[in-house]
Order: sequence, then structure tokens, then C-alpha cells
Amino acid sequence: MNLVDCILNSAIQLPPFPAVIQRVLQLVEDPKSSAQEMVDVIQYDQSITANVLRVCNSAHFGLRRPVHSLREAVALIGFDQLVEVILQNNSAQLFSRACPGYDLNDGELWRHSVSCALLSQIISIRLNQAPSPTRFTAALLHDIGKVILSGFVREHFEEIRKLVRDGGCSFSEAEKEVLGIDHAELGGKISERWQFPKAIVFAVRYHHTPLLSPEDHEMVNLIYLCDLVTLMMGIGGGADGLSYHAHKEVLNQNQLSRRDIEQFISQLDEGFKKVEATINLE
Amino acid sequence: MKIIVGMADMQVSKEPEAMLISFALGSCIGVALYDPLVRVGGLLHFMLPDSQIDQQKSQKNPWMFADTGIPLFFREAYKLGAEKKRIWVKVVGGSQVLDDSSYFNIGKRNYLALRKIFWTNNVLIHAEDIGGSVNRTIRLEIGSGRVWVRTSGDGEREL
Repeated sequence: MNLVDCILNSAIQLPPFPAVIQRVLQLVEDPKSSAQEMVDVIQYDQSITANVLRVCNSAHFGLRRPVHSLREAVALIGFDQLVEVILQNNSAQLFSRACPGYDLNDGELWRHSVSCALLSQIISIRLNQAPSPTRFTAALLHDIGKVILSGFVREHFEEIRKLVRDGGCSFSEAEKEVLGIDHAELGGKISERWQFPKAIVFAVRYHHTPLLSPEDHEMVNLIYLCDLVTLMMGIGGGADGLSYHAHKEVLNQNQLSRRDIEQFISQLDEGFKKVEATINLE
Repeated sequence: MKIIVGMADMQVSKEPEAMLISFALGSCIGVALYDPLVRVGGLLHFMLPDSQIDQQKSQKNPWMFADTGIPLFFREAYKLGAEKKRIWVKVVGGSQVLDDSSYFNIGKRNYLALRKIFWTNNVLIHAEDIGGSVNRTIRLEIGSGRVWVRTSGDGEREL
């Protein structure tokens, strides 16, 4: 078996993403769906329901009265926030493990993922796009490829590093060169297998090479910016560091300036404290 | 005793047992200062060069910006008995993404802002590990004044 097949084979070992979440994502994007439909979909999954209630009743949420049922939760916190709670609970385990190939300790990739998801809301607002659960999901899951690729990066770390240091490659270009596949491409394949909507698959696949995406540019550009800004801030940044290409075209296309980038950073700081609170909750 | 200095945060100490540490400096900059006579030290982790972009934020958290954070940081050290004439500083961070366009060069601008403030105030940089595209962690031992820098994916070395 060649190396790429080995890597793809490892990706198959990942547990499937809960089908309930795919269904919930379809529902929130469908303007005709109702709160009742959402409750109907979720209520049969006891662990998700229990998590939603636990999070809604935590001090972090600051609801004035206790929430006893899923229906109450939906009424009080709304669709979008409900999806965020469900997603975060289901992705935390997957992303919380250390990724030694990237020199990331326990929890660091998760911190990066949640920060990106928060930033997706901040940048969406600046771009006059309504923050949506689909964008939140793409931002949260964009680095799923790293979870699998970490072990292979570790084995070939010196070769990859040499290409980055001496060959002028970005870290993902060096991954592709040495391993035959990079973490974004692998992530795209995993999210495809998980049957995520096409826009999420493209956003994951092209989060370091947004100019190559054949479609869904709005979403791809957004996730690209979220990831790049989070990496610049060093949040959950590892051995790959900031070794990724900046594409000013993405800023130009969206009429964004350097000042906007700085403002995103200053706005995320507060959100980051919220991230820490959320992470401690889990 | 390990004291963590978060993003847009600062700590000063004169506890000989204390070790100040700041993780994951990407484009942000970690500034360690130390007065070897009274053994007072501090660590600042600032994120952006200029508070003009968000003055409300700079009032709430001056440590976020070089222009508001650095002067206050020195004042906090003076409160513990440090004196400017004896203080040395070491700086770490200011990394960059791979960018020919300078749109994303916050690391470089952070460093330039810091240099300008130090230049105006006659502060010499004792040692530095700046730039590149790496993540760094800085720690300062208050008892000895030793500063260590760790680069992700690489080892730790004394600065």
C-alpha cells in the first residue's frame, strides 16, 4: 500500500459524524423548517439532548431559569445557538486529542477550532453575511485532516520542515510533497465522507488555497481568513506555525484592509475568553 | 510557581520562585523585562501595534497594544522597585505568514512599534528572537533573570 492509501485508510477509521447533526444542519438552512421539526430530530438522541440541557443550564449561558426540555432550550436560545452547542459537544472529543506531528498538546487544536468558529461570526458580520450554522460548522471542522495526518507528519517531520525552511514551501505544500496529500485535501475527503453540504466540503478542502476553489467562494474565503487570523494570533498554532500563504486577493475581493485584520484580532480577544470558558465546561 | 501570562496580558513579580510564561506567540510579541539588582521581572504579551484601531478596547485592556501596554508595563515594574537605568529587556515573537504583499504583516508592525517606543524612551533590547513563521513560547525565571524561548516543533534555548 502506498503512503496516500495508508493515510486514506486511517481516515476511514474515524467514527462517523452523528447523522442527527447532518439533519439539523439541513433544517437550519431550510427557511420552511420549524422548531418542532428540530426537536423531533434531536430528541431521540439521548446523549445530545442531555448535553444541550447541561450546557444550557450552566452558569456560562446565564439563563435566568432552568431549562427542562429540548423544546424550552430551542425557544430560549434559538436555532443557531442550539446548533453551536450540539456541534461543539460532538466535535470536542475528536479535536481535543494531542496532535504530536504538529506539536500540539491536548486541547490546542480544539482551542484553534473554536476560536475560528467564533471568528467566523465576527468576520461574517463585517462582510454583511448573516452568521450561519453552516459557516460555524465549516470553521469548527476545517482542520479535521490534521487529526489523522498528525501521525504521518510526525514520522516525516524532518523532511517536511526542511522543505518549509529551505525550500520556501508552505507547511501544507510540504505535506503534499512529502506525504502525497495535505491536511486540507484530506479534511475535504473526510467531510465528504461525512456527507456534509458541499460548501463545507469546499471550505475545508481549500482553506489554505482559496483561489483554487471551483465554487462557494464566499464560504471558502471566509474560512480561509478565519484560519489565517487565528494562526497569526498563535491560537492553537503548532510546528506548522504561520507557514501558510497570505492571499491579498481575498482581502481585495471583500474590500477588506489591514485595519480590518487588526480589528478582527482585537474583537476575537473577548471571544477567546468565552472560548476558554466553553472549553473548561467540557 | 508557574504564572501564565495570557494573550493581551501582563504579569510582574519579585517572587524568587516565580516563573512567568507566555505560550504561543505568533505575530504577537512577548516582552520580558528584568532588574537584576532588586530581582524584579515582568512579562507582557501584546497583540497589536497601535490602539488607534480600537480605543475603547485599549481603555479596557491596555495590554493588547504596544503603544498603551509597554509604558504601563514598565510602570508596574517600577512599583515593585525596579529602576529604569538597571532594567534590561528581551523580546520574542513577531512572526509572519508567507506574504509578499504586507497586508498581513502584523508581526513586523508589532516589532516596529516596539522598537519605536524603546528608541524614544532610551531602552536597549538586550536580546531578541523575532520574525520568521514560527510559534514561540517565552519564559522568565524571576530568581535568576534567565529567559528561555521555545520554538514549536523545535527545542528550547536560553535567550
